[in-house]
Amino acid sequence: MRQLRAWIIRLFATLHIGHTRSEIDTELSAHIAMNTEDNLRAGLPAEEARRQALIQLGGEEQARQAYRDRATLPILESILQDVRFTLRQIHKSPGFTISTVLMLTIGISASATAFSWINSVLLQPLGGVTDPGRLVVLESVTPNGELVPNSYPDFIDFRKNLKLLDGVAVSRPNAFSVGREDHAERVWGELVSGNFFAVLGVKPEIGRLFLPTEYTDTVNSFPIVVVSDRYWRSHLGADTSIVGKTIRVNQHELTVVGVAAPQFHGSLPVVSYDLWIPYMQQPTLNSVNEWMLRDRHNRNMLGIARLRPGVGLPQARQELKALADRMAIANADVSQGMSATLLPLAESPHGPQGLLAGPLRILMGVSILVLLIVCVNVANLLMARAANREKEFSTRLALGSGRGRLIRQVLTETLLLTACSALLGIAATPLLGRSLKLLMPPGPSQALIAADARPDLAVIAFTAGLCIFTALAAGLLPALQVGRLNLSSRLNNGGRSGTAGRSRNRLHSALVTAEVALALITLVGAGLFAHAFEQTMHVDPGFDPNGVLLSQFYLNTNGYDVQHRKEFCRKLAEQMASTPGVTDVAYSDGVPLGFEPSWWEELDIEGYPRHLGENMNIFRNVISPGYLPLMHIPVVEGRNFTEDDNETKDIGSIIVNESFAKRFFAGRDPIGKKIKGWGDTFRVVGVARDSKYHYLNEGATPYFYVPFRQIYRADMNLAFYVRARGNLNNVLTTLRTKSHEIDPNVTVFDAAPLKEFIGASLYPQKIAATVMAVMGGIAILLAAAGLYSVMAFWVAQRTQEIGVRMALGAQPSHVLRMVVRKGMIVTVAGVAAGMLCAVALARAVAGFSYTNSAMGTQSALLNSGAADLLIYTASAAFLCCVALLACWIPARRAASVNPTDALRTE
Amino acid sequence: MGGKSDVWQGTLALMVLTTLETIGPQHGYGLARRIEQTSGDKLQLNYGTLYPALLKLEQEGYIRSRWGASDNNRKAKFYELTKTGQRQARKAAAEWEQTTAILARFLAPAQE
Repeated sequence: MRQLRAWIIRLFATLHIGHTRSEIDTELSAHIAMNTEDNLRAGLPAEEARRQALIQLGGEEQARQAYRDRATLPILESILQDVRFTLRQIHKSPGFTISTVLMLTIGISASATAFSWINSVLLQPLGGVTDPGRLVVLESVTPNGELVPNSYPDFIDFRKNLKLLDGVAVSRPNAFSVGREDHAERVWGELVSGNFFAVLGVKPEIGRLFLPTEYTDTVNSFPIVVVSDRYWRSHLGADTSIVGKTIRVNQHELTVVGVAAPQFHGSLPVVSYDLWIPYMQQPTLNSVNEWMLRDRHNRNMLGIARLRPGVGLPQARQELKALADRMAIANADVSQGMSATLLPLAESPHGPQGLLAGPLRILMGVSILVLLIVCVNVANLLMARAANREKEFSTRLALGSGRGRLIRQVLTETLLLTACSALLGIAATPLLGRSLKLLMPPGPSQALIAADARPDLAVIAFTAGLCIFTALAAGLLPALQVGRLNLSSRLNNGGRSGTAGRSRNRLHSALVTAEVALALITLVGAGLFAHAFEQTMHVDPGFDPNGVLLSQFYLNTNGYDVQHRKEFCRKLAEQMASTPGVTDVAYSDGVPLGFEPSWWEELDIEGYPRHLGENMNIFRNVISPGYLPLMHIPVVEGRNFTEDDNETKDIGSIIVNESFAKRFFAGRDPIGKKIKGWGDTFRVVGVARDSKYHYLNEGATPYFYVPFRQIYRADMNLAFYVRARGNLNNVLTTLRTKSHEIDPNVTVFDAAPLKEFIGASLYPQKIAATVMAVMGGIAILLAAAGLYSVMAFWVAQRTQEIGVRMALGAQPSHVLRMVVRKGMIVTVAGVAAGMLCAVALARAVAGFSYTNSAMGTQSALLNSGAADLLIYTASAAFLCCVALLACWIPARRAASVNPTDALRTE
Repeated sequence: MGGKSDVWQGTLALMVLTTLETIGPQHGYGLARRIEQTSGDKLQLNYGTLYPALLKLEQEGYIRSRWGASDNNRKAKFYELTKTGQRQARKAAAEWEQTTAILARFLAPAQE
């Protein structure tokens, strides 16, 4: 404490150095005067009296120095001197300063932004929760290893039996319509188990969260809601008396019991929800049948759990697996072969982190690459500058300045420049952070991204670290160069390049070589990612998404029951079909290649002997008769659904795909065969061509379709498709009008071209390719600038030598060739080095994958192919061309040197 | 000058504190002279080292200073103990006494 106090006082004294000095002087002169007087009184002669006083003081200057050293912080004092000197230098060469700071800002802000994203997506995914390190997600695992959400009965078993967990909660994202019918607004929230807040450890801002008495499994008993701080401020006027009042959600009054803490935004990373409502309110709110909540088939709840203190993830996982295995046997009818597992929050396949994790890591890596290139560039600039300042440094050395002090001076300059850039970079991160939204596929997830991207402590600390790293990386070589200055030769030959110049040139060349190598790595990376993206783009999805408008309705928010919804769809389809330009209309539960969980049903197939433990859960879609024709999916055998495949039939209809037919009806005619599912019997009426269902790279998947009118249930989604010629925006306008005509209250839906929507599964590759292309462009520019500046500097230093050569008869073309050769040697060395690194790095990056569907399946971001060689050669050739151009300009200047002018300089 | 000892490392602060406790506010020169007198002119005090020591004590909050006038009406800086300084003076003195007492036990038998 006392030490700290002393330091602070000394710090202030250093800052007021003038005042401190005058006080010391006054005190010491008073001391000398008093001592001299005493000595005079003791009878010494005047001169001797003063001399004795000074001797006793131990020398006036020494005493003053010792005093001052204690009064201030001498190190800080000299650092301040350096800073002041640097500021003067910066002021003298604004061009150098601006270009350096600009380059550094690009490098630092790119890295800082990448880190701030990684921070909010992967490192600190949930805000406002207690001890997030012990939170894990709980996923059910299908026999094929896919990750799926959990059912409510499973949740009850988990909650009751898992002893190593400090609570398990479930949640389900849900759109609600809030307000009166005529001006309802769609708000996203989560349906949660009562213990949700307790497990996450969330605190209320005002009011309370759910109470233990409300952790109930009985339906419709607690019409209550917790709202987010954001919603409370934007929609409820931050009214502190809101607790106890009601808001109207899906046409039902819910009592607001509290507002969650401001940092809390829900149980998915970077997604902001505004309402939390007990899961068991679904029957009233969403017209979901009660039995569905008791159905183990109904897996739609995301699980989140808290590990007990001292319990490791593997231990808890083992306990869960043992329980899930027992449950799979006990409920063999629905859960045979199922298992369950725990994953760290950042590895959950639901929510944006699965999409973003891979691309963000690559973004971070590339940002660091670009930062390194920037460092090399700045080091080059600093060295060129140091060469111009050699006289200044030599003079300081000659006047007795220590080499350490000179090195410190150069490092201080670099640090000051990087600090400026870091500040600019931090100021820019909120802006850049907001662009995280742009990385998300269109659709609900984009609208929900938490816009709050204020840099937090971790980001600032990271940027500060980056700043110091950059300063050292860029400043160390130039600083050591200055430290090695040879005093006598410098002052003697008046700054003409001698041996020191040669070693410096070697260093320059080495730096540019490194820069070219780094640029090649980024360039090759951009090529590889773009190629991988293009390859995936060319995969035929098996249906035609062009010219189709997709709208998603949330009819349950209007209090519609199943019958109403079917009726609404039928009417809207009729209306739209009669609109000019519209060729097809259809609706379904699931959207193919949409980034959403897909559902399956366990089937019992006539004539197919099921192996022991065989997984008979087959993915399905619930579709209207218009669906297959609209998607241009041909029915290769049998017939399509018709309006006659409806509720009145005793036996349902089913259409299977080719893979289904091949696997389960090998060699037999599938048409007319009976299949059992949903407790009912269906008859196969047709076989449809295979298409892609979950992600573009998937293999052949058995799949089936059932008629909307026969199977549609309250908990299913509703996607509405319109295929039309011409502008899809006009179609959207018509759709809005028509749906408004049918029911004025239906205003709430999302719409996007299907082409864009299905792009979701391509997004990670698209981001990786785009990011790499942008960064590759920056890297090439920087490398070209670096090469240019080094060559220009080299030519400028050799103006005299070139003049002599030309005076002795060298042709301009000789000079041109000499300079270009010099530049190209450096370039080729860099390309060779970069090639080796790129090959090694590509191997490492090939391991990066991304979650390409909400089922937890992973796909590699990079699939290497035969085109690799082409990409490598093309990148190298392109880089060489750019380098040639960068050398050409200074070479031209060198070739046009006038010998007499050159010899006259100096 | 023979027969005078230098000030032992670390003891100057204690001398300053106890002297200030006895005589009250005093300027640097007066303090130096007083310390020499107290030692019976046995101590050789380098006055130049006194000022950094005073400054250290002030920065640590044991003493405080203000400008005042000396006997000859000269502008001088006067030092005095703070509350914590008084406590520290007593504490340091007690510690020192203990140390010398322990040392004395080692030296006593040799004298017998």
